[in-house]
Amino acid sequence: MSSETERRERFEAIATEVYDPLQRYLRRRATAEESGDVLSDVLLTVWRRLDDVPRDAVLPWCYGVARRTLSNHRRAAQRHLRLVQRLESEREHTSGGDPADVLDEQDPDLAEALAGLPPADREILRLWAWEQLEPREIAQVLGSTANAVSLRLSRARKKLAESLTRQDDSNPGHIGEEPAEEQQR
Amino acid sequence: MTDQLRKRLARLDPMHPGVPTKSMTTESSRRLLEDIMSTPVTEQPASQPEPKPNRWLVGVAAAAALVVAVGGAIALTGGTSGDPVAGGPPLVLEAGGEDSTAMCIMFSVEELARAPLAFEGTVTAVEGDSVTLTVDEWFKGGDAGQVVLNAPQGMEALIAGFPFEVGAPYLITAYDGNVNYCGFSGPSTPEFRAAFEQAFGG
Repeated sequence: MSSETERRERFEAIATEVYDPLQRYLRRRATAEESGDVLSDVLLTVWRRLDDVPRDAVLPWCYGVARRTLSNHRRAAQRHLRLVQRLESEREHTSGGDPADVLDEQDPDLAEALAGLPPADREILRLWAWEQLEPREIAQVLGSTANAVSLRLSRARKKLAESLTRQDDSNPGHIGEEPAEEQQR
Repeated sequence: MTDQLRKRLARLDPMHPGVPTKSMTTESSRRLLEDIMSTPVTEQPASQPEPKPNRWLVGVAAAAALVVAVGGAIALTGGTSGDPVAGGPPLVLEAGGEDSTAMCIMFSVEELARAPLAFEGTVTAVEGDSVTLTVDEWFKGGDAGQVVLNAPQGMEALIAGFPFEVGAPYLITAYDGNVNYCGFSGPSTPEFRAAFEQAFGG
């Protein structure tokens, strides 16, 4: 990338594309304060590594940077504690303040089934359904391959469906959507 | 069916498109972007890859097949190996599979408590791509006296771990044989340990 003007233009274009979805990605996984810090760091990484940002996968690339940056932010145990304390006090003081809680109430079965999956399964399902990424893009975020992601995703969906089926079985009077069971029963 | 599940999951999204985010045109957003664009880039040319970590990092990632790396390794939950002091076969965990890199979720004691495997251990050896720890305390899910963490080479792009130092204590959680390092494992500090104790009732 040659001139300063070109760099700025390219950066502005990328920022325009990712500013909103990155905020959503981070707020799904972190507190507002943490999200703000990580957003700045991710954009700084974009600026510094402008030539490395793949033109056909700008957003997944940025999600990948966000994921690693968020992870780095959480390295220090001190941070864990502050975060725990903050989250706990947020929960105490603002009852129902977490948008996720409200939504969970709308579909408690699915929320419960999702919460019961291992974190890796949950994360891949979120990237798929919340960030609306395809396996190829999820692979870019996770540093994996599209094939491996497809396999994982399909397993995660199956586990989720099985968990929903179990809930239905133990809850015969339950009214709700048919669980997305793939095949056999 | 799959589409239906995806839609149903999307309805649980706390940041669905109806939730507003900060606009790029606000004063604080513009200030942030201008600050970033005035940052010199000469120190780290854009074409240069991220610096390769020369310390052993848990966060380096890759795919499967690591458990094979140590012969006689017992299975993931590690519950089979009797007396820790007697030095039965070590429990082997992957410290860099895609599973372990995919777990950046919000930290909470409640979430921590979901981990099927949790222990505190002291590092006794760091060799190449593996770290050996002597277990000081099992909080949950195992009873092996030693745990070996393996990480594959060649995935330096995913720098997200923490260095292991011989003699230092660490608190580790794992799912399905994969270390969950993203906020749920790390150097042992009184605060982090307190969270473990709270989570596992130890």
